[in-house]
Amino acid sequence: MSLRLKLLLLGLATLVLPWAGCRYAREMESALRDGERDSLQGVAQTIAASLQGRTDLMYRQSLPRAPAENAEGGGPEPPAAPAAQRPTDPDDFRRGPYDLEPLTLAAAPPLDGYIDDWPHEAAAWQSFAHDDAHQFSILTGVHERMLYVLLDVHDQHPVFDAGGNNTLDPQTFGDRVWLAFEDPQGEQQRVLLAASAPGPFVARRIVTGEYRRQSVVFEPRIRGAWRPGGAGYRLEVRVPLSMLGNAFGVLVDDRDVRGGPAVSYGTLRSDDLHTMGRLILASPELGGYLAQFLQPGLRLAVATPQGRVLAHAEALAGPASLDSGPPLLARLYRRFVDTPGERQVVQARAPIYDRDREVVVGTLEATQTADRWIRLRDRALTRMLNLTVFTSLVVVTAMFAFAAWLALRLSRLRRASESALTRSGLVTSFPETRARDELGDVARSFGTLLSRLDEYTQYLRTLAAKLAHEIRTPLTIVRSSLDNLESEQVPASARAYLERARQGSERLGTILLAMGAATRVEESIANAERVRFDLVPVLSSAVAAYRTAFPQRSFQFECGAGSMPLTGAPDLIVQLLDKLIDNAVDFSPPGASITVRLREEGTAAVIEVDNPGPALPLHLQGRVFESLWQSRPGSGADVHLGLGLYIVRLIAEFHGGDASAGNLADGTGVRMVVRLRRQAIDGP
Amino acid sequence: MKRLVAIVEDEPAIRDNYAAAFAREGYAVRAFANRSEAMAAFAARLPDMAVIDISLQDEPEGGFELCRQLRALSAELPIIFLTARDSELDAVSGLRLGADDFLTKDLSLPHLTARVNALFRRVEALRRPNTPADVLRRGPLTLDTERMQALWDGQVVLLSLTEFWIVHALARHPGHVRNRQQLMDAASVVLDDNTITSHVKRIRRKFQALAPSFDALQTVYGMGYRWVE
Repeated sequence: MSLRLKLLLLGLATLVLPWAGCRYAREMESALRDGERDSLQGVAQTIAASLQGRTDLMYRQSLPRAPAENAEGGGPEPPAAPAAQRPTDPDDFRRGPYDLEPLTLAAAPPLDGYIDDWPHEAAAWQSFAHDDAHQFSILTGVHERMLYVLLDVHDQHPVFDAGGNNTLDPQTFGDRVWLAFEDPQGEQQRVLLAASAPGPFVARRIVTGEYRRQSVVFEPRIRGAWRPGGAGYRLEVRVPLSMLGNAFGVLVDDRDVRGGPAVSYGTLRSDDLHTMGRLILASPELGGYLAQFLQPGLRLAVATPQGRVLAHAEALAGPASLDSGPPLLARLYRRFVDTPGERQVVQARAPIYDRDREVVVGTLEATQTADRWIRLRDRALTRMLNLTVFTSLVVVTAMFAFAAWLALRLSRLRRASESALTRSGLVTSFPETRARDELGDVARSFGTLLSRLDEYTQYLRTLAAKLAHEIRTPLTIVRSSLDNLESEQVPASARAYLERARQGSERLGTILLAMGAATRVEESIANAERVRFDLVPVLSSAVAAYRTAFPQRSFQFECGAGSMPLTGAPDLIVQLLDKLIDNAVDFSPPGASITVRLREEGTAAVIEVDNPGPALPLHLQGRVFESLWQSRPGSGADVHLGLGLYIVRLIAEFHGGDASAGNLADGTGVRMVVRLRRQAIDGP
Repeated sequence: MKRLVAIVEDEPAIRDNYAAAFAREGYAVRAFANRSEAMAAFAARLPDMAVIDISLQDEPEGGFELCRQLRALSAELPIIFLTARDSELDAVSGLRLGADDFLTKDLSLPHLTARVNALFRRVEALRRPNTPADVLRRGPLTLDTERMQALWDGQVVLLSLTEFWIVHALARHPGHVRNRQQLMDAASVVLDDNTITSHVKRIRRKFQALAPSFDALQTVYGMGYRWVE
């Protein structure tokens, strides 16, 4: 794992900031929500208090108990005492078995007998049964001054009216439905709903005219539709609220055959069609009354104690919510913060009491949509997350950059130390040594180490020359003594020893010469003159000479160019080639073919010497040109101090080039490559 | 009367060996260990030849100074530097100071005495002008082997003994390549390749000082040198 990656991962730890931010935002949100709930509760209680005792404001009619309990006599109802004058009866606000609580419809359902147009509220259905075979369900709803009634009647044998004009003839009676209600004046009204075919119909009213003669008239204000469906048929009826008073009821006359006996059941007394249930409706003013309390995003509703909503008022969330919604970033953030499925609303309920605070006459429900605090939270969240994400990004970027910089410095250091090792000494400047941090310390100690190594290498390099010089004097003593001994009378038996001593001193002399060779080359390099000359004839003549000098090897000279002008010292070049050839001869078997190749490479002249023989181990390839480096197998009388290729390097460097060693591609031998700059350079 | 050879050498063993060798050759020998001793003796009587080491006891360059002082006393006195040093710079300095030859101590005693003998011959030959000389002529080059003197177009080219013998070895068979070993043998010296190269360069420079267009001494790369007429 690279340093860069490690620091990058470390930088990612700053992502804990946004995470903490989310946590904070969530806590803030719940605090906000609590506050909102409290204030909403306050609002709800205030409104509920303002409605205390105002049943007239809440309900369309005052709600005396329906006449079901006391109207045994069937006579006209005594007018209900005004609510203000009598104590509130808790029963008035409890739903009786026959009371109907219409839904508040969002839209008018078309009069077609289908239930699909109605809200799917199973709880709103009320069922009335005579027995298992005779029952119906009723759903009522109010929309804009109209009462809608949906009847779902179970009837295994629906029977139509015979139709025609003679509606009063019992023989024509099919299944009939009676609607009975009080009109606003408290008068009992009843209408007859009968259909002679599926489809729309108009309610009819039986009018008793003069001489108690009964006649049937159409009641065009009440219309409906009949449709077979369910376990029998369905009726959908519309009644204007203006016709209606407090009470409302339905009676179904179920006949199995036309004109047959009817099974009557419903919310009316079947004998006189008096209603038994009330129609519990909101006062028309209630909606307007609630509207004055509205705030953006607030929904207020007044419900009956049973929970049926009488009226509600709703305000849009406010102009702010009309913009294009939360910005993309905020929406993204919200996905991290919101727990899915969490309700985005706050609700508060407050009971509405009667004047004496004894009876609950209704419930006020206040609902605040979440928009308001969500927006607040989003703004804070977005700002904070932006900040923390930005911070994280900055930190990660900075860490990455720092890591990259560190890695760069380290790799520079590594490269420098590597090349310092391979290029034996001569390191004068080391990178990073001026840095004041730990890397600088490392670099400095590296530098110190290398300069000591350099000193040591220098010492080694001069050691040979110094030794040669020091040994020369005693050697001269030995030689001159031997020379003098030659002139003396030496017994023949001692001649052999004398000869051996001479041979030994000769070898010592050769060694001395070899030891001083590098120094002398350095000297002659220092004194060398650069001239412009052609490399091709120099090399070809030298190669020709090697053929004579080393008859055991064959030499090839390959040169593409006809001439290759070079600025340098031809003597030194030949000396360089001598050393390379010496090396090639020593490492190749007798009879081997040694190839000298001259080619041009950009501004450089490249001399290559290929010889078959053992491959050069990889770890030696950079070192063979070092001073005193020797990898020759045991040498005989020839003296090799590992200076030959070092001299090659010195001469190559004098020509602004370098020397390198490698193996041939097919592994059959070694290739030495010397690169010479063809233009003159300043200084050795 | 025996010729007097003065040896100035701080290493007693070498000094004594050289003295013995010169004495065997029939020379009178006086040996000195340092410059002041030598100069004191030379002030009284000049030797016929001086063989001087460069570093003398506590004077690393004492031989050069001695050479300068001797030259001031006598312009003809043959002086040979014999030193353990073999640096090019020392050789150049020594020869520039007027030494007749610059030899390293690698030289064997017979070679050394041969050199000394040759130098004496040269001195004698120079003192006897107009004697018919053993002369080798190659174009503008005239080599007087008796006096060990080289002339180019009649002008004397001041060569050291080693240089003279190198030129002689090359010019005797013009066009033939002489490798370094052959040149060393001819000059009776043991030198390494670089020293031969610098000798040849010095020779060229001396000829070019007289004739800028001189290019009779050619390098045959990888093999050696040859004289071209």
